[in-house]
Amino acid sequence: MTLFDKIVSRELTQNEAIDLLRQWRENNERKSNEIAMIHMFYDIYSGKISANERLMLKEQLIFASLDVHDLLTEFQIDFLLQEFPASMRVMRYKAMVREAKEKYDEALEILDYIIKADETNAPARKRRIAIFKAQGQITEAIKELVDYLKKFMSDVEGWQQLCELYLSVGELQRAVFCAEEMLLHQPHCHFHHQRVADIRYTMGGVENMELAKSYYCQALKLNPENMRATLGLFLTTTNLLNHYKSSGNSAKRKEAWKLSQWTQTKAAKRTATKKIKLTKMLLNLAITE
Amino acid sequence: MSSFHKIIVFVGYISLFHSAFSAAQHRSYLRITSQEFTTLPLDIVVQAVASLFAVMWGVLNIAGNLREIPAAAELNTLTWETQYNMPSFAIFNHRGKAVNQSKYVPSSGKAELENTEL
Repeated sequence: MTLFDKIVSRELTQNEAIDLLRQWRENNERKSNEIAMIHMFYDIYSGKISANERLMLKEQLIFASLDVHDLLTEFQIDFLLQEFPASMRVMRYKAMVREAKEKYDEALEILDYIIKADETNAPARKRRIAIFKAQGQITEAIKELVDYLKKFMSDVEGWQQLCELYLSVGELQRAVFCAEEMLLHQPHCHFHHQRVADIRYTMGGVENMELAKSYYCQALKLNPENMRATLGLFLTTTNLLNHYKSSGNSAKRKEAWKLSQWTQTKAAKRTATKKIKLTKMLLNLAITE
Repeated sequence: MSSFHKIIVFVGYISLFHSAFSAAQHRSYLRITSQEFTTLPLDIVVQAVASLFAVMWGVLNIAGNLREIPAAAELNTLTWETQYNMPSFAIFNHRGKAVNQSKYVPSSGKAELENTEL
């Protein structure tokens, strides 16, 4: 029985539902359909929640219902607007409804108004960029985002988005810069190391392969369970082995060979129960000459 | 469960103090009867050691869950899905449209793109 079925058949208690919502909020999970369903099937506002949490729940619901295109949520926003008449935050949600209805010009108008009233309103600026993204104007979005990051340099999410946008237009050199910026903000997060390595591997060339190898190794050092990094390291070392075979650098070749063997045993251990010849599959995947 | 451990700690402390008190009593008894002090009686030693371990065990359980030694261990429980979910850049023109709107008509394919006159 999936979680979704459990929600619909009302198997959770009210407190469990509230806890679930709280957990998703804290973990930054999207799960919009589930959130909307919980709001539909449970009367969570009658539970034990503080006034603060009530508003957070409402916000979560508004976001989720926009995601599943339940545009009745506009009433909710109007109620909030009555409660907080001059709130920029509620105004932003109004803009988001316009966005979901694909009335992008109106949404931009509202957002421009917010930015004019409050220059430091970062979320509104981010929404502007999201609108360009939704319209498919990637270059425009990149330009706006670069502008935004000049003003708000410590925004990891912004760098992350810029990295994704650069990747989507194939500007790997710039994407790698953004990924490194993220790495500087959260040096202990293995995902960022893995991301840099992924991009370096995609760029190709011996120098990038060596860099990718180091970053994958660091990611694995931080989290030995990271399967993607394990497989990435395997592909990188296989590639390097091929290169060193032809150029005859024996010391480096030996090192790459050792790493390759190590990742193979590691990957084999993880997939031992699944009876797949993972290493064989990987060898087919690897870029060879 | 934690109330059980609290009781263990409480009883353990009392028993520990009791054994200390007994030891002091034993010394004063020896002094009064003017005997030479060699070792403490076995029961006092056993009581002291046992109650020490009881207190240690109780405190460990009360203090809450132990944390991992590596600094990044908490980050390792994250998944790519949550780490790379960017709510403030989320866009809404995706397949969610088809979930809730009964009047939603999917586009008929590439032909439609070519015919649009904007």
